[in-house]
Amino acid sequence: MPLFGKSQKSPTDIVKALKEAVNALEKGEKKAEKAQEEVSKNLVLIKNMLYGTSDAEPQTDIIVAQLAQELYNSNLLLLLIQNLNRIDFEGKKDVAQVFNNILRRQIGTRSPTVEYICTKPEILFTLMSGYELQEIALNCGTMLRECARYEALAKIMLYSDDFYNFFRYVEVSTFDIASDAFSTFKELLTRHKILCADFLEVNYDKVFSHYQRLLNSENYVTRRQSLKLLGELLLDRHNFTVMTRYISNPDNLKLMMNMLKERSRNIQFEAFHVFKVFVANPNKPKPILDILLRNQDKLVDFLMKFHTDRAEDEQFNDEKAYLIRQIKELRPMAGH
Amino acid sequence: MCNITNSDSDEQELNPEPGEVELTNRVFDVNSEEFPVLGDLDEDAHTWSNNLSDDLDVGNISNFFHRVSSEQVIYQAKKRLKMIGKYVMGDLLGEGSYGKVKEMLDSDTLCRRAVKILKQRKLRRIPNGVQNVEREIKLLKSLKHKNVISLVDVLFNEEKQKMYLIMEFCVGSLQGMLESTPYKKFPLYQAHGYFIQLIDGLEYLHSKRVVHKDIKPGNLLLTLEGELKISDLGVAETIDFFAIDDTCVQGQGSPAFQPPEIANGLDSFPGFKVDVWSSGVSLYNFVTGEYPFEGDSIYKLFENIGKGEFTIPDYIEDPLRDLLLGMLRKDPEERLSLQQIRQHMWFSRRPPVTAPPVPIPPLRNDEFHCMTVLPYLFDHYYDTSDTANNVEYFTERELNEEITKREAEQNNGSAQTNQSSKRRWKKPISCIAVRKIPGCKQS
Repeated sequence: MPLFGKSQKSPTDIVKALKEAVNALEKGEKKAEKAQEEVSKNLVLIKNMLYGTSDAEPQTDIIVAQLAQELYNSNLLLLLIQNLNRIDFEGKKDVAQVFNNILRRQIGTRSPTVEYICTKPEILFTLMSGYELQEIALNCGTMLRECARYEALAKIMLYSDDFYNFFRYVEVSTFDIASDAFSTFKELLTRHKILCADFLEVNYDKVFSHYQRLLNSENYVTRRQSLKLLGELLLDRHNFTVMTRYISNPDNLKLMMNMLKERSRNIQFEAFHVFKVFVANPNKPKPILDILLRNQDKLVDFLMKFHTDRAEDEQFNDEKAYLIRQIKELRPMAGH
Repeated sequence: MCNITNSDSDEQELNPEPGEVELTNRVFDVNSEEFPVLGDLDEDAHTWSNNLSDDLDVGNISNFFHRVSSEQVIYQAKKRLKMIGKYVMGDLLGEGSYGKVKEMLDSDTLCRRAVKILKQRKLRRIPNGVQNVEREIKLLKSLKHKNVISLVDVLFNEEKQKMYLIMEFCVGSLQGMLESTPYKKFPLYQAHGYFIQLIDGLEYLHSKRVVHKDIKPGNLLLTLEGELKISDLGVAETIDFFAIDDTCVQGQGSPAFQPPEIANGLDSFPGFKVDVWSSGVSLYNFVTGEYPFEGDSIYKLFENIGKGEFTIPDYIEDPLRDLLLGMLRKDPEERLSLQQIRQHMWFSRRPPVTAPPVPIPPLRNDEFHCMTVLPYLFDHYYDTSDTANNVEYFTERELNEEITKREAEQNNGSAQTNQSSKRRWKKPISCIAVRKIPGCKQS
């Protein structure tokens, strides 16, 4: 072996060594410390193959292809993620970097890693459950968002039962984890427009009953963020069907009217943007119309005084004036 | 004699000179000393009353109309600082259909901006001009996406009847880039990069119920970082929030990019597919340097588009060929949707880098697109008295000569000669290297 110069270890050797080390780590034997060292060392080797170092270029495509193939065959990606909390701090970051790099790999029009993960969805589910463990939550988050960029993977995640755990993750008390979970959640619901629209349509009842909980959350940030996302979803043309369904439910209208009166001005403002859709709807169902009629005068009064200091925001003022006019002109349905 | 410099901006309005000034990238002060001013007139009137009996001879007239040789009307090259609100005005970037576009610097944030200057007078002459602009402003204000141009600020000058739309700074359009190359096309990987950004921006617009209706390389701008920005929403249409589908009834975009349903004059058509078609024509243009449909007149062109028959050069291979065929299907129902484009083979694959990318063409020979506001600031804030003795003056004749020369050069497409760059502002490098920064003048 040359004294200087890079190690001549082949991808096969490294993957094998890493797998053995992770297995040892998992068993938690006495030699755990040594195993951990071994894991970190091999992770760095793999990372350097993919990204290169300050004085070495990344390895050639052939070596990288060999490495990827070994990773698929040995099932090491799943094993690494399952044992992520046992790996040391730097090692966790290396796993995420290696994972994301391998994920982005393309051969022609194919993304082999995406195809591989489609056959091993446990990888995704394990990553999602990573939000349960504080010490690996953020590492899992970066990997999840990278996965969510691919429609096929986003689809698996959205349509899994585990997806509904996100409604819990976004509310956890650790702020950075909750925010990270929320951005993954949002990515999944907005990235692939048609996929998301179909998903919301098919699972309307389940999703929105869960969503209701977020809007009623004790946590101010959750309430505000989820209300904002709701507005974005409903105002997106792709979700037209979902929007029409949402605005024909009187309970949703009541919730928005209550949020208009929240203490926080930001929440009031976000609620306004959902509320306006109920009023602007040219085909209001009777229950909606009834609520609006019952509160006609109060609503007009309320809107007249609503956020009057936003003089700069032309669009808001136009919309507000439009709503006031609409509400003033509301008449009970003919024939009732 | 008072030395009135013609720096008043209102005067600038009266003289059409600013047009030339901008062409040559400089502001000139008219030194009005040589003009017959009121003082001279009084003198003449006095002479006249003494010679009442005399006929008005030639000499008298020439006395009365004090003739000034054009040699005596002199200009001075100076970068005169002009502020619009908190923005410092820079040089001309280009001319749009509504007016000039200039560079600006936000003096609060030091962000480079571009400003579209609209003259109410001109706008009113264009049918629906004012309404269109108001609609575009409203629309742009409600949009926010990295691939759609953003409107930063809108200012009015009642007195001058001008409107300033302050936008993100872009260095040029894809159209300009294409035209700067010999074959008028991009290498595949470069076209792919722009196309992906175009589809991202379009998807956003459509999600906001906006049909752009005028997608073409000329309306796709690039920032210095090479980010694509969809611009010019002048003829865009917003679908009603509660409309069941995206039916549109009017098409006003550029003829060569219009789909068969508009060329054939259908009463209504699905709006979003119009943008798919024009993106298809744009992509065709990126990769071949040609247009799928041509015609000597707009009638011939629309006839050809209406038939929907076109050929793709043989060197365009599948999957790109297939994508183009899918985007340019005559029947809008059969035409690919944005979603289908996204899932297309060619879309998901980045073609290999084969040749150096087509660069953004230089602006007035500056390939780096340096900030043109800087010289104005320098001239304004630093006393240039040590150079005061050799201030260059030149006459209108010299100026005209230079303009003609410059135009000739542009027509020849030849590189700039030293002669014309002699009076150019020295590169900012030289002001950094200056021995002693002279005292700052009060502004």
